[in-house]
Parts: sequence; structure tokens; C-alpha cells
Amino acid sequence: MSGPLCDLLPSGSDPGNPAALAGQPAEAALQWLPVLTTFEAAVRASGMSADLHDGSGVTILAPTDDAFAAKFSEDDLDHLLVADKDKLRGLLREHLVAGSLSLADLVAAGTVTTLAGTTVTVTGGGATARLADQADTVCADYQVAGARIHIINHVLGSLPTTGGEGGHRAH
Amino acid sequence: MRDRRTTAILSALLAASLAAFAGPVPAQADPTEPNQVQGLTVAQGDGYATLAWTPVDGATDYQIERTPVAADDTATGPAVITGVWRPNRQINNSSPTFADAGFNPGARFQWRVRARFGTTAEAYSAPVAGTTRAPWGDPAVPGENLRTQWETTLAAQYTSDVNEYAYTAAVDELSDRVRVTEIGRTALGRPINMFVIGYPTPPATPAAVAATSPLMVNCNVHGNEPGDREACLIMARQLAFSNDPRTLDLLSHTTVLIVPTINGDGRAANTRGNSTGQDLNRDYSLIRQPETFALVRMLRDYRPVAGYDGHEFGNSSAGDLPMLPPRHQNVAQSIFDESQHMIEGHMYSQGAKDGWWPCPYGCNGGGNVGLSEETILRNTLGLKNVVNSLLELRSSGGTTRPDEGNTANNRRRKTFSALWTFQQFLDYHRANLKEITSARADAITFQVSNTGRIVFRGSRPIPAYPSPHPGEAPPPLDAPRDGQVLDQAPCAYKLTEEQYNGERTDGPAGQRTTVAQRLAAHGHKVVKVADGYVVPLAQPERGLIPLLLDGQAVEKLVDAERVYPTVTGERSGQLVVSGVTCLRDATVTGPVRVRAGGTLIATGSSITGPVDAGGAAGVFLTDTAVEGPVRVAQSSGPVVIVDATVTGPVDVSGNRGDAPLVAANTVTGPLSCGGNTQAPDNLGLSNSVEGPKSGQCASL
Repeated sequence: MSGPLCDLLPSGSDPGNPAALAGQPAEAALQWLPVLTTFEAAVRASGMSADLHDGSGVTILAPTDDAFAAKFSEDDLDHLLVADKDKLRGLLREHLVAGSLSLADLVAAGTVTTLAGTTVTVTGGGATARLADQADTVCADYQVAGARIHIINHVLGSLPTTGGEGGHRAH
Repeated sequence: MRDRRTTAILSALLAASLAAFAGPVPAQADPTEPNQVQGLTVAQGDGYATLAWTPVDGATDYQIERTPVAADDTATGPAVITGVWRPNRQINNSSPTFADAGFNPGARFQWRVRARFGTTAEAYSAPVAGTTRAPWGDPAVPGENLRTQWETTLAAQYTSDVNEYAYTAAVDELSDRVRVTEIGRTALGRPINMFVIGYPTPPATPAAVAATSPLMVNCNVHGNEPGDREACLIMARQLAFSNDPRTLDLLSHTTVLIVPTINGDGRAANTRGNSTGQDLNRDYSLIRQPETFALVRMLRDYRPVAGYDGHEFGNSSAGDLPMLPPRHQNVAQSIFDESQHMIEGHMYSQGAKDGWWPCPYGCNGGGNVGLSEETILRNTLGLKNVVNSLLELRSSGGTTRPDEGNTANNRRRKTFSALWTFQQFLDYHRANLKEITSARADAITFQVSNTGRIVFRGSRPIPAYPSPHPGEAPPPLDAPRDGQVLDQAPCAYKLTEEQYNGERTDGPAGQRTTVAQRLAAHGHKVVKVADGYVVPLAQPERGLIPLLLDGQAVEKLVDAERVYPTVTGERSGQLVVSGVTCLRDATVTGPVRVRAGGTLIATGSSITGPVDAGGAAGVFLTDTAVEGPVRVAQSSGPVVIVDATVTGPVDVSGNRGDAPLVAANTVTGPLSCGGNTQAPDNLGLSNSVEGPKSGQCASL
């Protein structure tokens, strides 16, 4: 486990600590990571849970809730989750890579190709890596059944940005 | 000489004083440094600890530091700045307080506070230590030992729908005080439950609950704002099982209604809207969706007199707890005033005591939010004469709570601040029920009189609170704009058969409702006439009706025909009503006779002569004086006699429509009711009757 966010996530013997997640399927493990509620809901809404434990393993680059809020307006996010499932699946594939790759594996590879077919550069090293020149891993190397989860701070892919500061939704 | 008893007493005194020193006593600074905070104390609440101290002259703000400690008060982890107190936080700056929260309840900590002058930090106070209050309920006592998923996972997970239903059923089963009732289903078929809580048991029927002037908390309308819901589930357990005198007193005097999850589909999907993408808090007037329809129907049947509606708010510079009353200008002044009193008169002062920071919605750079849409529950409730407030939980820690990068800390602060608010709401209702019901009575008599202009959109102003204010900016003025005011209110709206019963395209397929069904869910009185349906404004939700039925309304159901008064000013001789006759500010010298199938709507009028309606389609007599007997019998439709002054007997009998409304009247003579299909009701507004009250009206 490495990255600045790890200290703020369940640890030690708390429910949802990394050791407790080790044997769980990815879609179950995601439910224990309190910064991934949007990504977790997106996985369920897309019906792609099974894609997260493909026989040959998978790497999950999971953007935080803050990253989703910066990327999409609340309305657009609702639309993705409720109505536009094809687009949602496309978005999720931008965050999945075949093979269960550790942070070190990603850095060593230098580039990886997502299930959406996009080539993503990986730079950096040590505790974090930078993906596609825009997203940093903030807590990497959750090992779960047949997958690695790396929490990242930016949504990947080419959908337009509609979220961000300033637009407080009224109650 | 000391006998053994004296020695024992001295030992006990010594032990007591030692125990006092071991407890959270005011910190003694030794020696005192310049500008060092003195007199720090800590008091434990549910999920928060209130720190209080003596202010330092000239300090611009204070930092609150928390350190986890063992039983012997040695540190077990790093000290962290968890709070920043600023002068805009509370209405009195002479006794600063801060509700520290976010920690795992039950853990032990030490706190220190230091003043800052600009960016210069002064010396820390001497520390105080304390063990925080564990999650409510003795783990060894059945019922009390129930915990939600959110509690057992230490806030790593929110309570799922499955866990909510299991927990709710367990509370229901183990507590005589609780009845859980399903008020409807979501679009995807999830049950929408409501806790009905009273002591020793809740009243058996909705009408019996209504008679206790109940209060309501709506906990989760936006599925991605789950903090209030967790508080509601914990509060339900406290109310169900706590035997402390306060809880028993509260529940002995009213009934608490808690709707934990109106938007179960959105909660499960983590979306703001429901499964169709509809924002349910833009639908409470139109009730296109099954969720809002269910809640509005519940309001009609259970009639809460006060409410809170829980949300979360993405403005990171707002206070802890932005609140806002119903502002729509069609809301009666008395409801607005009493709601404001609940917020500013109670929440602001209690917040200053316990260290929470309520503020007006928007609060600090809030933008264009908190307006007059009647589709928002806050306003809908106000238009239904319910004293109420919106509650927001600031989503992020912001600059005043810098330790909330840890998501669990953030979630706990939000939920326990909501729990504090809802418990305060119960206390407010208990202490101010007279004022609340009096505001409601004033509102209902105002609405039925159908006086004053109609505003389609536009708010009452929320003035800035005097300095030192708990927020820095009130919400926008939001005055009505051109074209949003109707100075001459109609007497009624008339709908065609197609408008009233026609199939609609709004709402989820397979679950769509007609205008007839929606008006019925609101509890609006409708008169069936030969060529359509008439909805008079002389009824308790007068302010809401034009927003649904007028062509000029911003979000309407239909563009119904305005029906204007037919009789105004002086009129002599007998008045015979066969169609729809509407009296406004009329003086009728002579009797009024409503023929079978006729409809009388009279507001602000005086009638010298009896009023006799036999077999009418509808009778509305409000804010009107009648000399002579009033007899309303065998009507096929609604009967509304409210705030009328009758010299002579009043007889309401054999009417076949919904419960006749007989409220707030002054009758010089007897009031007798009998043989009505549904017994007349007074909505809690008693009639002043000189003669005897008898039959179905005996207790009105």
C-alpha cells in the first residue's frame, strides 16, 4: 500500500482494512473504500462487476469521489448512472487494464492499454505514479481476489468536464 | 475522637474530590502565559464533545487540538488540529464553544485550545481529557444493542437498504413505542417506511396521531446525501429504547414521525434523483413520482405540525448546519415567522451553547440558492401550514474542520451534527407547541379567507442576523418578478374532465397518476359540477392551489380556468344558488338558499338571513358572518366551514363527501352534526360555541 491517502482510509484492525479485503472480489472490496462511493455505484449501475474478476486478473484505476465531483456535474453524473449505461461502461473501461498489475508493474511498463483501447502513459515511481499526465495514484496496491485496486485522483477518458467548483446545487 | 461513621464520610469526601480531579475539570494553567486560553472545559454529547473556554481579548480565532490518549492520559497518537473557531460561528462571542466531532465515539482524548492573533499562534491552554460518549445503547440490553451498518463498520459503509429494513424491523419488534408503517413504495418497488413513535405506544390510526400535533423528520431525499439518514436511524433507536426522563416526556406529549429513506432507489444507486433521474426535491407540489406522492399523502393523513428536511451541502465555506424556513410568499406569515423563530430563536442559541454552527442557507458565498420553488419540500410544507426548516450538513470539513480528509471523520461529523439538530428539533417542538399550533391556526384561517395577492414565485426576505452573526450572508432576496404576481385572486379554478381525470405523461410509465389523484393526495377539496371540477381557494392550502392550477404558474399541473367572484358588494333579497356562486366581500341582506347540485363559496362576506344548503355539490363558508341558522345537509361534495361567525344554530348533517371541515368558528347557538359519512374534523382548530356541541361535532 502506498500513497498519501492510505493513512486516511480504514487501517489496522478497522473494518475495511487492506488485509481484510485481500480475499474479496473487487466489487465487494470497493464497498469498503469510503472515497470510492461513486466508482462503486458506477460499477453496480453498469453491470460490470464480473469484469472486475476476469480469470486473467484486472487492474482497477478507481477515481475518488472528489475526482468524480470535479469531472462531472451532479446532473451529468446522475444521467450516467441512471440513463446512459453504454457511456458509463465506456467510461469504466477507461479505468480497467487487463492483468493484475502492481504499482511497480505499471511504472515498469511505462504505458498500459485500458480495456477501452486507450493508451495510458505511466510515469513517476516510489509511492505514487502519474497516469496519462493527469491522474496520480493516491493510494495504490490494494490486492483483492484477482485484481489490484489503485485509487487515483482524476477521472480518465475523454468525456467533457462539466463539474468543479462554484456550482453549489441547491437543496 | 472520631467514630467510624465520620471517618467513612471523610473518606468518601476525599474519594469524591479525587474523582473530581480525575474528571474533566476546568484546566488550570500554571504558570499563565500571555494570551493563553483559560478555563477550558469539555462536555460530551452524542458523537461530539463541546469545548468551552474563556475568550482572550483581541484573538481573531482559536485552534482546537485533539490527541488520542490512554486511560492514564498518555498520548497514543499524534496531536491534530481538528477545529478552528471563528467569531462568525456563534451569536454570542463572550462564551466561545466548539463541537469537536468526527472521532470514533467511545474513544478517549485530550484537548487543548489556543488563540491566534492573525497568523500568530499563542500558547496552548492546559489540556482537558475525557472519554467520549459511546454509541447510544447498552450492548447488553436487547433493542438498545441494535446498531446500524454505518455504526458497526465505523462509518466505512453507509447503511444499505437491506440493513435498514432489518434494523427498522428489529426496532419495531422490540419497542412498544414504535410502529413502522409503509407509506408507499419507490418507483422500483422499495418500501418507504416511517417510524411512528409515541409513549407508551403510538396512537393507533393516522387521525389519532394527527390529534397529537406530531412532528416529522424527512431524512434522505437525495440519494447521494446520506448523512442525515444515519442520524435518523440512530435517533429512532434512542427514542424507542431510552428511558431517560426527557425522552419519556417528549414521547408522552406528541408523536414523532421519521421517514428514513423516501428515495431508497437513489440511495442504493448513490444518485441525487430517483431511478428515473427526477430530483424528488423538485416534485413535492407536482407529485409526479411515487415517492413524493407517498410523502404528501402521508402529510395529509398524519398532519405533522412541524418538520425538518435533511440534506448535505457542497459549499465548503458554509457553517456546519445551514438552515432555511419556507420562504415562498404564499406561505402564511405566521408559519414563516415561527419557522424563523425555530431557527434563529432556538437553533442559533442552542448551537452557541453546544458548539455547532447553524447559519442561514447559503451562509458564506452561497450563491443563488434557497429560493421559492414550491416543488421543494421546505416550501411545500410551509404551504401546508407546517412550521419547518431545511437542514444542510456541510459536505466537506472546510477550513474550520481541517481533519476531515479522513472520510470516516467527515461522515461522523455530519451525521452527529444532524442528530444534534433533530434532537433539538424535538425539544423545540416540546417547549413551543403552543406557539407552533397557534401559528398553524393563524395560517389556516388566513388561507381559507382567500385574501391577498397570489405570488407564483418569489420569497420573503431573510434579513442578515445581527452581528456577531452565525453566517456572513443570507440567501438572495428573491423578490417576485414581473408576471409572477396575481393581485386579484380568483375564487376558484375550474378543470375540465380531461384536465382532471385525463391520462398524464409525467411520472414513470405504469405508475402515472391523474390530477384527480394528486389533488386528493394533497387533501385539496374539489367540487364536482355539471361540466367539470371546481377547486375553491377558500381552503387550508390556498397558497399552493394556484401554483398547481393557474396558467401563469411556473411549474403547474394544468392551465385551469380562473373562476372569479359572482357576488360582491351589497345585495338585497333572497339569494338562490343553483350553479357555482362565489361571494367575496359581499353583504347579502336576506337568506341564502343552495339548491341541490349548487355550490356556494363565500369569503369575507356577511349574510343576514339563514344559510340553507340541502344536497349541495359543495359549501365553502369562510371568514364570513351569518345571522340566522346555518344548515348544510346531504351535500354530495366538500363542506368547509372555517372562521365563520354564526348567530344562531349550525347543523352539519348527512353529508356524503370527505370529512366536513368545521373549524375555528364562533357560533352563538348550538353546533350539531350527525349522519355525515365521515365525521367532521377541525384540524385541531377548536370552535367557540355558545350552545351545546353535539353528535359528530361534540369534541370539535
